[in-house]
Amino acid sequence: MNRQWIPRIAGILAVVLLFIFPFIYGRADYDFIMHLWITAFFFAILASSWSLLAGYAGQFSFAHMAFMAIGAYTAALYGNYIRILSAPTNLCTEYQIGGRWLVILNPVGVTSSAKDCLEIAKESLPVGTIISQPSIWWGVLGGVLMGGIFGLLVGYLVLRLRSTYLALFTIGFAEILRAAISAEIAITQGQAGLELLPLFPRGLTLFGNTYSSTDKLMPYYAMLFLFLLCMAIMLRLTGTRFGLFIRALREDEEAAAALGVNVVRYKVMVFTITAMMAAAAGAIFGHYIGIITPNILLILQMSLVIAMAVIGGLESIVASAIGAIIILFMLELLRNSFDIGPVRVDMTLWRLVFFGAVLMLTLRFRRNGLIAPILDWFNRAGVAEETVAKRQAAPTEGSD
Amino acid sequence: MTELRVNNITKNFGGLQVLHNVSFEVNGPELIGLIGPNGAGKTTLTNILDGALNPTSGTVYLNGRRIDAMPPYEVAKAGLGRTFQVTRAFRRMTVLENLYVPALALHPAARQRDFEGKAMDVLEFLTIDHLRNEYGRALSGGQQKLLELGRLLMLDPDIIILDEPFAGVHPKLMEIIYKYIYKVNEDGKAVIIISHDMDTIFTLSKRLLVLNYGDLIADGDPEIVKNDPTVIEAYLGVDEDDDSYDDEEDDDE
Amino acid sequence: MEYSSIFFLTLLWVLVWGAIGLAVTPRIYLRRDKDVSQTGLMGALIGAAFGPIGLAILWVFTPSYKTRWVLLPGIIVIFILSLAFARADPNNLCVTSGSFVASQLVNGIIIGIIYSLMALGITLIFSILGIVSFAHGEFYMVGGMIAYFMTARWFPGVNPLLAILAACVGTFLIGYVFERLFLQPMHTGEVERPGEYAILITFGLAFFLQYFVQATVGANPVKATRYFDFPIVENALFQTSKGSITFFDAVSIPNPRLTAAVVAVLMLVVLLLFLYRTWTGKALRAVSEDKQAAAVAGINTEGMNTLAFALGSMLAGLSGAMLVQVFSWLPQVGTIASSRSFVIIVLGGMGSLPGAFIGGLMVGLFEAAGTGCIPDPTRAASYIPAYGMIVLTLILLLKPTGLFGKEL
Repeated sequence: MNRQWIPRIAGILAVVLLFIFPFIYGRADYDFIMHLWITAFFFAILASSWSLLAGYAGQFSFAHMAFMAIGAYTAALYGNYIRILSAPTNLCTEYQIGGRWLVILNPVGVTSSAKDCLEIAKESLPVGTIISQPSIWWGVLGGVLMGGIFGLLVGYLVLRLRSTYLALFTIGFAEILRAAISAEIAITQGQAGLELLPLFPRGLTLFGNTYSSTDKLMPYYAMLFLFLLCMAIMLRLTGTRFGLFIRALREDEEAAAALGVNVVRYKVMVFTITAMMAAAAGAIFGHYIGIITPNILLILQMSLVIAMAVIGGLESIVASAIGAIIILFMLELLRNSFDIGPVRVDMTLWRLVFFGAVLMLTLRFRRNGLIAPILDWFNRAGVAEETVAKRQAAPTEGSD
Repeated sequence: MTELRVNNITKNFGGLQVLHNVSFEVNGPELIGLIGPNGAGKTTLTNILDGALNPTSGTVYLNGRRIDAMPPYEVAKAGLGRTFQVTRAFRRMTVLENLYVPALALHPAARQRDFEGKAMDVLEFLTIDHLRNEYGRALSGGQQKLLELGRLLMLDPDIIILDEPFAGVHPKLMEIIYKYIYKVNEDGKAVIIISHDMDTIFTLSKRLLVLNYGDLIADGDPEIVKNDPTVIEAYLGVDEDDDSYDDEEDDDE
Repeated sequence: MEYSSIFFLTLLWVLVWGAIGLAVTPRIYLRRDKDVSQTGLMGALIGAAFGPIGLAILWVFTPSYKTRWVLLPGIIVIFILSLAFARADPNNLCVTSGSFVASQLVNGIIIGIIYSLMALGITLIFSILGIVSFAHGEFYMVGGMIAYFMTARWFPGVNPLLAILAACVGTFLIGYVFERLFLQPMHTGEVERPGEYAILITFGLAFFLQYFVQATVGANPVKATRYFDFPIVENALFQTSKGSITFFDAVSIPNPRLTAAVVAVLMLVVLLLFLYRTWTGKALRAVSEDKQAAAVAGINTEGMNTLAFALGSMLAGLSGAMLVQVFSWLPQVGTIASSRSFVIIVLGGMGSLPGAFIGGLMVGLFEAAGTGCIPDPTRAASYIPAYGMIVLTLILLLKPTGLFGKEL
């Protein structure tokens, strides 16, 4: 059997294991481990989509967490400000849809004394009026679309910017977004953060088992599903002309254009697609942790994603996803502090120092990451042998 | 039949006029040499024809379509292919992938495997078929040059502009490039060769264009152009130092 | 309501004519077969400043670009906008109180000078190595930390000059070692794709330094005491207390800020003298002009790269050491300093030292105006980091070479 098959079989096995994991894992730290997996999937989506953007298309954007935040905040704003009523309030902005009213609440900020229009209207609403929140999945969808719109916009704006200039522009974009979210306290509640409902607010009954809304099972499968969906989309895309063209424009934009590649379209496309994935991850993760603050936009959060992608292997989507999962688990499991003589080593911080050092050393000495070369060893098996064999078979070729 | 019409192209960079009212036509599968001293505007002219630059004034038509305002990728699809003075193989893509890029760009509905046969033919012709799964960066400078020529074959344009195809090339490879030029020409493509190497230009081309500081000072049969007093004064009379070019090119190994 | 409609109408008028000038002017220059570069900017500013009349005159005469055709309308646009602002909100302190404006202005200039000290280092590095150091803010943070620990923890009562010197030496050494270990291979061709490598590796250093300091020092804010007290003087012009100096009973400058600004100006002078008068400085400039030619002329370009990076990092450390007595210091302060420096170098044109200085002043003034004049001060304060970034993104989109940079 050819060794090219090994990673595929391992991949299928891993996916199966991930699917049955919640049912076979029964130790006391079940909740904690499940939480790690959910976070790991979240970062794996971000790292692998960033590797599509930076590693494949060569666009070193620092705005990836900003797209994630756009998704999360869109979902949060939707959940906080949109209600469905069975009777009109005559106070709020509202639209009649069938026999229902879609009500958009007015932002009142964090000061608790002010009442929003719905609370005022409650006093005069007819008895028995049903006030409900529309399904959160529309909010998630809205977040994905909003991420796509911003991705499209940024993609068009940065068409002319290369490397350092692109990095600076995207840092600027993320910072502006963070400042705006922190400053518009009336709408976003600033540093206090916006709360989100759990993914299944009323819990879920599956196969006769009832899971409460705080059970980790649903977010686990939601995140796993999103992760596998993103991976499938990206792997599919990289096998098509899209993957070929974005790599060509990473290598040499002018040469690619001279060969007929519509560089504008593919650059904008890759920004849009990766932004939508980041936004989807953000929206789901926001619903899982229940609250989002502007701090998810800090540049250090972005460095975490970059570091995961780089250590895994920037030029391989699978490698950066695996890298993200492994690194997340290592970071979380290295939290235990210990003592060396009288000195207490606070591992919650030192693990990040080591992580930074590993990042720098990887960049310097293992440019393609630590995991990508392993995958390459399987996937590119036989290339060198083939070259040598063919060369010997055709001794007359010209070469300098 | 291939038909390129260049009408009164002028190009200014800042206050500097790099091209001045350049006009010429290409009809059918011609073999044309484009020469001129350094800074004559040869590369600028190529960039304008290719769509990378817009002319300050003037128009370019290819087979009846106006191409001077098109972006490069549309010009390429309209049937004009070019190579670059400095080799620009896609270094982190395999040789085959390098070839698939133009093929897929040209055929929106096709897939990679549709072109495997054609790509292998091209590689065999260029004698680099054994390297098909190697990355571009693993190739020597000369092989990368061949790869670029191969990409043009996959694009299958009507007119090909080769910018310094012989600079820093091993004599053995030179033969292959010669063969390549004659083949694409026989296939009905027009070829414009920009080169410093007078010998090859005179052996290859049936027609010579001479640029001098933005002006097209001669256009015609090489033997006649050779004896044109303005050309001799502007260019041929000066001893060109070819060596400087060779050094620059071949450090890509 | 009526006042603010005046403001928005003026804004609209300025924007519309600016946009028309931006879009149409290059075409007219093109048709006249004149040099098109810069004409968009010129048209936009003249349109914004003088409206249709200015544009008509510009389009009839199509003068070739001169700096004054941009500078003068630029000033007028700012003037028009501030006038409209004053009319829109007549009760704003920025309009009613002259001394408030003067004090904002002076403090803006002071903080601007301090910013430019931060940005000098990153500019020096860019002009010679051709990379942006994303770890610049962390060198600033480390410099401040060293100065704080020298004066407050390790040797209380030590001469602050020694503390500053220690900060300089410390950041110089870190910069030196980092350049040797991680950036050197970039220039020798040992590392592929140097452009993206430089972004990632300096980013990695930033990450490492920030957490290293946090792990060793902790995350509590610290602040150095004033390095020295002013002598008490009182006269018609100004009066001093230990901690501040007040001009005309109106404009008060805190002592630490003033010392930092004075050091910043001194550093600029020293740096310029170093670059233009000493052999090493000339060699550095030669490398920034043309690496190969410099190498042929016998200059050790590798050494120059290392020196430039170490010096640039040292400048960041120095500004940190000066500012640790102004701001409270955290391992995270570097991020803010970095983003300010990015704005300044983009504004001033990547790699131009005087540009960095003027860029720093502009950012300082811009922020002072933003915080002082916008109603709703809490929101204005939250937006401070964004002001500079808005400038940064706009400049990158409209004129990536900055206001003082060379054309690419």
